[in-house]
Amino acid sequence: MPNSRRPLQSASAASTPLTSLRRGGGQLFETERRLNAVLNNASVSIFLMDDRQHCIYMNRAAEHLTGWTLDEVLARDCPLHDIVHHTYPDGRPFPLEECAIDRAFPENNQERGEEVFVHRDGHFFPVGFTASPIRDDATNIIGTIIEVRDISEERAAAERQRLLINELNHRVKNTLATVQSIAAQTFRGHTDQAVRAVFDARMAALSNAHNVLVEDNWESANLHNVIERALAPHLLAEVDASRFQIQGPSAQLHPKVAVTLAMALHELMTNAAKYGALSVPQGKVAVTWSLSELDAGRQQLDLTWQEQDGPPVTSPTRKGFGSRLIERQLPMEFDGGATINYAPAGVLCHLRIPLTRLGWAGQEMIEGHPVR
Amino acid sequence: MSALEGRRVLLVEDESLVAMMVEDMLLDLGCEVVVAMRLDKALAYARSEAFDFAVLDVNLGETRSYPVADLLCERCTPFLFATGYGQRGLDANYRGVPVLQKPYQVEPLEHLLIHLLTCEAQSRAGPDATPSCQCRAVRSQFEAVSAQDP
Repeated sequence: MPNSRRPLQSASAASTPLTSLRRGGGQLFETERRLNAVLNNASVSIFLMDDRQHCIYMNRAAEHLTGWTLDEVLARDCPLHDIVHHTYPDGRPFPLEECAIDRAFPENNQERGEEVFVHRDGHFFPVGFTASPIRDDATNIIGTIIEVRDISEERAAAERQRLLINELNHRVKNTLATVQSIAAQTFRGHTDQAVRAVFDARMAALSNAHNVLVEDNWESANLHNVIERALAPHLLAEVDASRFQIQGPSAQLHPKVAVTLAMALHELMTNAAKYGALSVPQGKVAVTWSLSELDAGRQQLDLTWQEQDGPPVTSPTRKGFGSRLIERQLPMEFDGGATINYAPAGVLCHLRIPLTRLGWAGQEMIEGHPVR
Repeated sequence: MSALEGRRVLLVEDESLVAMMVEDMLLDLGCEVVVAMRLDKALAYARSEAFDFAVLDVNLGETRSYPVADLLCERCTPFLFATGYGQRGLDANYRGVPVLQKPYQVEPLEHLLIHLLTCEAQSRAGPDATPSCQCRAVRSQFEAVSAQDP
């Protein structure tokens, strides 16, 4: 034991770290009273450790957290680790040498981490700690102050959120499958198979778009993934690289943008497979995009769908679902623009979508109160 | 001929595919439809144009359509809310407004819109008009709310 120096007050001499101040007279006594009031009313647990990792002071919150009183801990005369951190949650002994908090006998202020403590009654609980060195006048480290918080509730909340997201994923996919089944039952015998196939493909496109959202916990979707999912022939297949050129910078899309864009690309795909470049073996499609700064913090996505080496294109005589979705709805939904040009050499579609990562322009309007 | 024939309606709905469907339903009922899919556009229409009534989706992504409702109230344009959550999904200030339960269906939509027009006609009939008129109901709630303001 390196105890030639015993810088912090030894355990037996003190019931609070501040008792010594009493010797300084009335003013110091007042200071001590205030500091003890602060420490004992703090909701965070505070431990003062000496250079042997013995606890020489703990506040009331710490007594409550561990189930041990300060007097009991002092009487044990052993490292605090052996009292509150002696066993791994799986039951193996937890030697002091492996202890992260001990290693945090810190060179730096406010070393942080998470550990699992053992309560006096034997139950384990997760804690977050912050450890900082205490230095003497010559800046030698003479002890550690450790703040500890019980993070059981945070852990439980994170777990609940994980379960909810799993449930959401499951529920959304199941609902889409249910809608598909209802459609199949309802239209059996009344609708021709080709129409049903179009419906099923659109449901699959919608479902695939949601897969990309699942990957990022519904917060956003990776643009590249949205495009690749929309262009792949089915869920397990990769995009046919001999047919598609996909090129552009990476970006994260708002979920609403992701879903509408995926549906738009699906309609372009379907059209190309039926009449355009994908209806012949040599036909190709280039999907390229760029991002530009629109205004403060907002980017604009400019995406081009260009078909080539397909049969000569003629303008459709009637505008269907796809062109209505792309040319009318998409610009309205995102305050953007869209054009489809049925050029003879190949369909050319250009989409302009202002991107905002969270929500969209207009949401800064005040909610729920009369506009005066 | 439908009672809704030739009526001018503001449709506020933020999902492209859903907006398409409701627009078609309203067109089939004989209405003239103006679609807004974003709060700022909806407010601009409500401010600058006249409508016989409006259909407001409550949830517009991360915002709500309440400011549009307030503007319509000021202009005495009747409206209904569409939401998947029913009355409970509404802010307490708007509990008097008729609610169309999502998913949209054409018959309840038509029924509620005709109710709105009838109610509106009554409220314009005179000072003793029915207090069930949502416009008045909502307005009196606003007055009650603002009266509490210091």
